[in-house]
Amino acid sequence: MPDWNRLVRERLSGLELSPAQRDAIVAELASHLEDRYEELCAQGIGESEAIARSLQEGADWPRLARQIERAKRKEETMNNRIKSLWLPGCVSLTAAMGLLMLLQRTGFQPRLVWVGSMPLMLYVPWLVALPLCGAAGAYLSRRAGGPWLARVVAGLFPAIVILGLAVLALSSSVVVEPNVFILRHPLHLLFGLFNWIVLPAAALLLGAMPFLTAPKLRAT
Amino acid sequence: MPKRIRSKIARGSAELAILTLLDGPPLYGFEIARRIEEKTGGALRFTLASLYPMLYDLEKRGLVKARWEANHAGRDRRYYALTAAGKKQLAPLRREWRFFFQALDRLAGVSHA
Repeated sequence: MPDWNRLVRERLSGLELSPAQRDAIVAELASHLEDRYEELCAQGIGESEAIARSLQEGADWPRLARQIERAKRKEETMNNRIKSLWLPGCVSLTAAMGLLMLLQRTGFQPRLVWVGSMPLMLYVPWLVALPLCGAAGAYLSRRAGGPWLARVVAGLFPAIVILGLAVLALSSSVVVEPNVFILRHPLHLLFGLFNWIVLPAAALLLGAMPFLTAPKLRAT
Repeated sequence: MPKRIRSKIARGSAELAILTLLDGPPLYGFEIARRIEEKTGGALRFTLASLYPMLYDLEKRGLVKARWEANHAGRDRRYYALTAAGKKQLAPLRREWRFFFQALDRLAGVSHA
């Protein structure tokens, strides 16, 4: 019995995929050729002829490798986006929100800073820790090979989510159930946005900044 | 017929054949190729080179899913099954092809008249 795994691996040597993906593809195609070979042998065809005919199933092997690569690569692009954007973003978000919840649960009182008649509600320990959350998001994104934009978004993810929720709440307050206070006091609204989006975003970005540059190449 | 149209027809009919066949118990690649050949009386024949890029493409598009499993003889095979999205895709695809063949049939009828 020929070593089908070896025969397929040799013919698909140009396949540029991860070792795990390549192994799975080689195993699957080898299994197919083995079935074909057994079918031909059962029809009374000689061993060498059966091997040659089975291998003809691959037709143009380099072309087959390119077609498989194309089909699998897009899948990898999707995986890369998950690894370089969504996962780091979720880590950053979970850390930032977890810390804020912890402070609130322990009864920590925010510091009120008055700017004229406008209050800023500052959870100082949270703001101090936010650069670490931003750094974690950007670092994980860079480690997964994320481009600059993915690293920025992963670092700023908590602020982006808060912005999304604020937009949702605001549109509901204006359109669905008009909130008279918000409509009459737009300055309060701006202060709220500064308090919960701009300040956290600045802190997150501060932490993310060291990881926004491309990783240094190591000399080999 | 232009090559692009010919290849689209070939690809579309191959997709329909695979999805139709997988609208039943899960099958592995070699089985899929053999069943299609049997059921079409040899009119459609898949080789390794034509089958697997298509299966991987259908998998990437979420129309089929695959998992490794040992068959009755204890050999590991990668079994393919239709996903919910694949089932959803199959009905309109069948309609499109029925419409296409009916149109061709009408056209052939006219040309014979």
